[in-house]
Amino acid sequence: MAWTLRTFSSDVLDVDAARLEELAADEDALEALEVDVVRGGEPVRITHVLDAVEPRIRPDGRAAFPLEPKAGQGVTHRIDQAVVLPCLDFPGEERPLHEQESIVDLAGPGSELTPFAIGTNVVLTFHGRPDAGHRAIDSSTRRVTLAAAELLAALTLEAEPDREETFELGPVDESLPSIAALVQLSDLGQLYQLYVYGEPAGEVGLPRVVDPAEMLDGAVTAGEYHWAAMRNPTLFFQRNSLVTTLYREHGKRLRFAGVVFMRGYEQSAADKQRAADEAAHVAAEVGADGAVITTDGGGNSHTEVMLTCRACESAGIRTAVVLAEETDLDATEAILTDWVPEADCIVSTGNLEELVPAWRPERVLGGDALLDGTPAADVAPIPVRNYLGAANQMGQLCAGAMSW
Amino acid sequence: MVKAVHYLNQFFAGLGGEEQADTPPMRLDGAVGPGRGLAAALEDAEIVATVACGDDYFAEHEEEATAALLELVRAEAPDVLVAGPAFGSGRYGYASARVARAAAEAGIPAVAAMHEENPGVAAVGRAVVVPTGPNVAGMRDALPRLAALAGRLAHGERLGPAEEDGYLPRGLRRNRQYDRTGAERAVDLLLAKLGGDTRTEVGGAHDTVPSPPPIPDLSHALLALVTEAGCVPQGNPDRLASVRAHAWLRYSLAGEERLEPGRYESVHGGFDVTLANEDPNRLVPLDTVRELVGEGRIGELYDCFYTTTGNGTPVATATTFGQEIAAELRDAGVQAVLLSGT
Repeated sequence: MAWTLRTFSSDVLDVDAARLEELAADEDALEALEVDVVRGGEPVRITHVLDAVEPRIRPDGRAAFPLEPKAGQGVTHRIDQAVVLPCLDFPGEERPLHEQESIVDLAGPGSELTPFAIGTNVVLTFHGRPDAGHRAIDSSTRRVTLAAAELLAALTLEAEPDREETFELGPVDESLPSIAALVQLSDLGQLYQLYVYGEPAGEVGLPRVVDPAEMLDGAVTAGEYHWAAMRNPTLFFQRNSLVTTLYREHGKRLRFAGVVFMRGYEQSAADKQRAADEAAHVAAEVGADGAVITTDGGGNSHTEVMLTCRACESAGIRTAVVLAEETDLDATEAILTDWVPEADCIVSTGNLEELVPAWRPERVLGGDALLDGTPAADVAPIPVRNYLGAANQMGQLCAGAMSW
Repeated sequence: MVKAVHYLNQFFAGLGGEEQADTPPMRLDGAVGPGRGLAAALEDAEIVATVACGDDYFAEHEEEATAALLELVRAEAPDVLVAGPAFGSGRYGYASARVARAAAEAGIPAVAAMHEENPGVAAVGRAVVVPTGPNVAGMRDALPRLAALAGRLAHGERLGPAEEDGYLPRGLRRNRQYDRTGAERAVDLLLAKLGGDTRTEVGGAHDTVPSPPPIPDLSHALLALVTEAGCVPQGNPDRLASVRAHAWLRYSLAGEERLEPGRYESVHGGFDVTLANEDPNRLVPLDTVRELVGEGRIGELYDCFYTTTGNGTPVATATTFGQEIAAELRDAGVQAVLLSGT
C-alpha cells in the first residue's frame, strides 16, 4: 500500500491560542492551558515536557492520529520544523512521577541533546484539576495535544507543499538481505505506556506486524513519562529514523521486511520469554535475515530486548540492538541494565548519567521549578537522563557514548 | 616549550640487564635510550629528565618505589609524564603503569605505552595507555604515537574517544554526537554483521551471582525480608529517596502481623505505587510469611526488614548496599532472604 506525505513550511503553522485553549476547556480534568510559541535558539528552558508531536492533518478529513487501524494510507500533511510540546506537572499528593523531570532546552549546552532546538515549538502548559486524578488528567492532556497538533496543521489544506514523498515497498532484488525493525512499545499501565491506534500497547495483541507506513503516520502515540531521556515521544515515531532509513535502503543495500511491534514490560519472567519467542517467530515469518531491535524505557524492558535478541539469534536471525547506557561517571566499564552474550552488536544511544553543564535560561516554560523543587532557571548541571528523548533507544538522534 | 619526564626500566635506561634489576629509583638528566627517539618525535616539548628503576626493585618495593619515583617526577614540575614503551614485559609494564597512575593522581597528565595484554594495562587507573607491539620490534611504530599523545596531554588538550585518538579505552564512557543517527548506525552494523563483520558500540558485561546451595530445611531456617521496593513507614520518616537512593534502611517488624495500609507506603519513583499502597504486603509479603511461620513451613522470621529504592541507583552504590545488608544478616545468623523486587 502506498502512503503519501506532503511537507509544508512552518510559515503555514496556524497558532490560534484561543482555539487551542477551547480544546482544553472541553476537558473536565483540566483547569487551564497556556499556549506559548518559542523558537530554537531562544534562551528558553521548557520543563515537565510529556511528549512531542509533529503537526499533521489529512486532507480527506480522517483523524491524523486515527483510532481505527488505517494509518499509512492515502495522503497526510506535515509541517516541517514544528513541534507541539505538552507540559504538565501532575498536581498534588497524587503526583506519581516524582523527580522524573523532562526538559527541553532551546539554547545552551542542553540544546545539543534535542532535535527541537531548531524550528518552532508550540508549548502547551496544562494545569490539571487537583481532584481529577492523574489518569483522567493524562487522558485529557493527550487528547488535547493530538487535537492541537491537527488544528495547527489546518492551513496546509489550502497551501502548496514544499515536497511530497511516497512510501511504498515495491519488489526488489531477492538476493539482498531482508531486514525487519522490531520496535518495542512500553506498557506498564497508564502514564507508562504507548498507544497503538489509541489503545494501550499491552492490549492490542503484540507482537504483530504492521505496515511501516503506519508507524510513520500516527498509529503510535506516546503517554510514557518515565525517564525523560529514554522516552520515545510521538514525533520520534512520526519521523522515525530507523523506518525511514530502511525505506531509503530498500532495494539498495537491503530488503525492508517490515515492522514488528512488541510489548515492553511484560509482567512475568515467563511472559517475557514467551513474548521474546513470539517476536522472533514473527520476524521469521516475515522472512527476516536480520533485525534491528529497538528499546522503549528502562529497567526490565531491557531484559525483554535481550531475550528477544537471544530468541532471534537462536532462530538464525542476526540482530543489532539499540540501547542507552547507565554508566556511573566513575565506572570503569560500560553499564547496561541487562545483557546476553548473543548481543554482540549494540548501538549505544548515549550514557544517561553524563552531566550537561549548567546553563541559565532567560525564560522558563512548563513550570518554574523542576519536580524536585529546584528553580528551573538556576540549577546545577543536569544529567542527560532528564532531557526529553536525549538517549532514546530507537536511534532517532545522533547521540552515542564512546570509550574514553 | 613544555616539559616532559620519561620513565624507563634499568635496561632501557642503559644501566644494565637483569643483573641490574635491583637498581633503586634514580634520576638521569635529559632523554636517555628510547627517550632520544621520543624527544625527536615530540613537538614543542622537551624531556627534561629521565627517572628509572630496576624491575626487580620495583616489584619488591612497590609502594616505596612508586613514592620515590613520584617525588623525582614532581621535582621537575613537568607538564606530562611518559612511561615506556614496555611492550609485553610484565614487570616493566606494571611499574610503568603504577608510575603513570601515581603521576595522574597527583595531577600530572601521564601516558604509558605497552602491549594491550600487558598486565600493567589494568593497573594504570585514569592515565592513558598507548598500545604497542608485543616486543621491542614495535619501538619505531610506537614512539611517534606515544609522542603525539604525550604532546597533546602536555599542552592541556582534552583527548577524544579512545578509538579515534589511539589509546586503550579506560572504561570511561562519554557522550558524543555522531554524524549519523543511532538507527542509521544500527542498520550499517547489522548489514556488516550479516556480511561476517560483527562490531559493537558497547560491550556487555556479565556480573553473575552464583546461587548458594539450597537450604536443606526451611522449617528450621531464620528468614529475613529485604526489598528494593521503596517500602517505608507512612510519611517516610527517614527520607528514603524515590530515585537514586543513597542509603538502605532497617525497620523493626516486632509486633507486626502484616503491613497495614496507611502505616506503610512505597516512595519508589519508578512505578505507579497506587496498588502497592493499597496493600503494602504486596511489596514486603509479611502477611504470607507470618502464616508460613505459623504453619511451621518457615522456622522463624528475622524481626527487621531491610529496604531501599532500586531506581536509577548506580551499580557501585547498589553493590555496596547489598554487601552491607548481607553482612548484617549473616552476622545475625539469617540463613534465607526473601528479596522482593519491583
